[in-house]
Amino acid sequence: MSETEALESMVGGEYKYGFTTDVEYEDFPKGINEDIIREISRRKDEPEWVLEFRLEAFEKWKQMEEPDWPNVEYEKPNFDEIQYYSSTKKKDGKKPESLDEVDDQILETYEKLGIPLEEQKQLQGVAVDAVFDSESIFTTFKEKLAEAGVIFCSISEAIQDHPELVKEYMGSVVPKGDNFYAALNSAVFSDGSFVYVPEDTVCPMDLSTYFRINNMQSGQFERTLIICEDNSHVSYLEGCTAPMYQENQLHAAVVELVALEDAEIKYSTIQNWYSGDEEGQGGIFNFVTKRGHCRGDNSKISWTQVETGSAITWKYPSVIMQGDGSIGEFFSVAVTNNRQQADTGTKMIHVGKDTKSTIISKGISAGESDNSYRGLVKISPRAENAQNYSVCDSMLIGQTCGAHTFPYIESANPTAKVEHEASTSRVGEDQIFYLQQRGMDEDDAISLIVNGFCKEVLQELPMEFAVEADKLLGIKLEGSVG
Amino acid sequence: MAKVKQKKERTFLQDLLNFQGSLNGKSQFLDKVRLKGAEGVRNTPFPTKKLEDWKYISLRDLYRDSYELASELDVEVPDFSEHYLPESEQSRLVFINGSYSEAHSTTEALPDDVTIGNIAQLAAEDNELLKEHLNTYAQNNFEDDVFTAFNSAFLKDGAFIHVPEGKTVDTPIHLLNIQTDAEEHYFATPRTVIAAEQDSEVTVIEDHIGLADNKYFNLPVVEVNLEEGAHVKHTKIQRDSRKAIHIARTAAFVAKHADYESYTITRGAKLSRNEPRISQRDEEVEFTVDGLVLIDGDQVSDTHSVMDHRFSHAESHQLHKCVINGKAHSVFNGKIFVQRDAQKIDSFQENRNLLLSRKGLVNTKPQLEIFADDVVCTHGATVGQLEQDELFYLKSRGLNEQQARELLIYAFALETIENISVDSVQELLAEEVRNFTKRQLDSELAV
Repeated sequence: MSETEALESMVGGEYKYGFTTDVEYEDFPKGINEDIIREISRRKDEPEWVLEFRLEAFEKWKQMEEPDWPNVEYEKPNFDEIQYYSSTKKKDGKKPESLDEVDDQILETYEKLGIPLEEQKQLQGVAVDAVFDSESIFTTFKEKLAEAGVIFCSISEAIQDHPELVKEYMGSVVPKGDNFYAALNSAVFSDGSFVYVPEDTVCPMDLSTYFRINNMQSGQFERTLIICEDNSHVSYLEGCTAPMYQENQLHAAVVELVALEDAEIKYSTIQNWYSGDEEGQGGIFNFVTKRGHCRGDNSKISWTQVETGSAITWKYPSVIMQGDGSIGEFFSVAVTNNRQQADTGTKMIHVGKDTKSTIISKGISAGESDNSYRGLVKISPRAENAQNYSVCDSMLIGQTCGAHTFPYIESANPTAKVEHEASTSRVGEDQIFYLQQRGMDEDDAISLIVNGFCKEVLQELPMEFAVEADKLLGIKLEGSVG
Repeated sequence: MAKVKQKKERTFLQDLLNFQGSLNGKSQFLDKVRLKGAEGVRNTPFPTKKLEDWKYISLRDLYRDSYELASELDVEVPDFSEHYLPESEQSRLVFINGSYSEAHSTTEALPDDVTIGNIAQLAAEDNELLKEHLNTYAQNNFEDDVFTAFNSAFLKDGAFIHVPEGKTVDTPIHLLNIQTDAEEHYFATPRTVIAAEQDSEVTVIEDHIGLADNKYFNLPVVEVNLEEGAHVKHTKIQRDSRKAIHIARTAAFVAKHADYESYTITRGAKLSRNEPRISQRDEEVEFTVDGLVLIDGDQVSDTHSVMDHRFSHAESHQLHKCVINGKAHSVFNGKIFVQRDAQKIDSFQENRNLLLSRKGLVNTKPQLEIFADDVVCTHGATVGQLEQDELFYLKSRGLNEQQARELLIYAFALETIENISVDSVQELLAEEVRNFTKRQLDSELAV
């Protein structure tokens, strides 16, 4: 096999989650207007206040304009061509009570994706919420979690079963009109996960949600809400894939995290949406608003993300450190190849005293892609002794890609200490040469170097994810040098 | 009400164009440049906070006032000889309120083949070198900038320095811009052009001094061109009055094997904005864009620099340090561009801020935009106060709190000025730093 062929087979054929599942969908009209929103709400059988929330958000969204400040170029989605709600036909029109009632084809899909939903086959210690297009298919280990007092279900179920919690927290971190895509999400949001960990509880297992976009016409607008009461702890994982279509699909999610006193939330993402082909055809537009709020003293929120997919990624998982002594962390690896574009980073807002944040961001660009880090560290006047440490390193592979760094630092307190450093470099020829003369081939050598480059971030991932991320990085970059 | 304000903002510079008529008729060449500048002012929108590059500072203080043309004022000029540099006793051009002062200027120490003089005069003589260089570089790097256009629209007096091939000018050239007290608020638009031919060498000290504490608007534009192997050292000291507004542009082009060193020291002005933009014209160049900002009270200082690497093999260096006290506000945005195929670039950028007071504010954004893979580009930014353990160490050595703080602030600031090659300038700046530090500590102790 010639080198080009090898490269093509690796880059082109790499996306092994690109298959479609042939299921029957319920009819739902395209486009967005008040009637559509009412219809979504009706189908989900929502209480009046949720509908109001949606309609208010929609009013705000109509007034807003799509922002153009990110360092990405794309054709703006046509919002009238998107199907905002997509659910599969149920056997008797109800949400399945047990796995037997779930459509076999959907089960097979998850099987293929490596996420078996049968509990006995599951990795011990991870509960899964499987979201297929607009709805949650099934949530595992619910009973076991309930014993510990942890609520883990889809947000639609939570609206039905725990309305007081949802009402109190939903929109309190990311308000309805926060930004263009958050407002759109608030108007049409579909299933995402809801997690509630009561006081003094360490969640007995890792929780995870697996998002899958299958329907070609639909977008995904999930909404996730995680609440950690005083002195509790949870680790949450999120994975995403989508089939390969020629058309771009929109994914506009909102994730809200609330950590009360001494609570800790660890949120890890492996984002592997379909990234489009080499010419940049198709792929997911990943426009996501993720924000955590350290409300209580000494709370901690930690974001870890491995971003390898999506045609365009545009997201800034942020932490507002309001409680004194609270901690925010952001660990990110963003890999772009071919025509992918990523503008990602974080916002660390220091409000409380003695707050501390760490940002470690690693960007790798290859092919003709563009990778930007955009971050804000803001120290408010009363954030005494706040500390921030940021490192953003970029690596370029090949001569046609770009790496950009836009770190904003705003400090209004003299006792605060902010440190930022960034570097851009490439995989050194001498490094490759050294590994090659030790008997490794070029691909393995690059993979090893890249892994070393990202190590600080990868080691933050939970075990199962770390293995996956490792492999993902290897596949993503194979054949890109040479 | 809001509408009226907005309108003022839009037309503020255009209204000032009324003063322009009095300048014309002495040189066709300059008339043309001014005409084009005026056109630029009419066609370019005035920056607002909505623009990314202007989001942290407000220009209200500038546009809500009206200004007179500085050269039309009748002012008394006090003695300012204390500001002369001993190294440049015979190589000095003086501009008072933007107008050339022949009586104070002298260029006797400079070799005959160096062309140096006032732009208006050279233009009246139809000087070919002036025509070749004037406005070429500013226009190129500040195409859409309303302030550069405004400077062109009032282009008259200014310094022109041309160093011929192979010439090394040993004597530093002092460009002294004096702003005097005046009853009216006025504006001045000095222009400086430095053209260094192949393998030439020159050192220029651009000095802005406000003698009183009146309000004026100073808008200097500096153009620098370095031919192959040329070496230009450019130090700018800004000591404008504490009520002045200082908006400066520097456009520099660097050819093969050339080396451009620029040091900008910001001490004065209520609102200052510096925009050095350095562009590579060929491979294998070096440039330095260092800066030191010492501000307190209600001062605002903003630096937006661009280091544009367009060809392979360049080495660039930027160390920008700020000391902020009182209610002062410091802004830094340093852009490093590495264009496609500009390989083997080694670029270093660091912004360090010493925030001494509760009400001070720092906004910094170092920025990398890189399109070539074989490069080493790093940037760093820090914001903090004096290290407790450093203070402790010095105190353990017998210094008192004040001495220890003074020493540390002094050391922090000194790093940026110790590379300046003119001794008296180094001393003068060291003195400025000392005074600044003292002032801070006195006011701190008083609180």
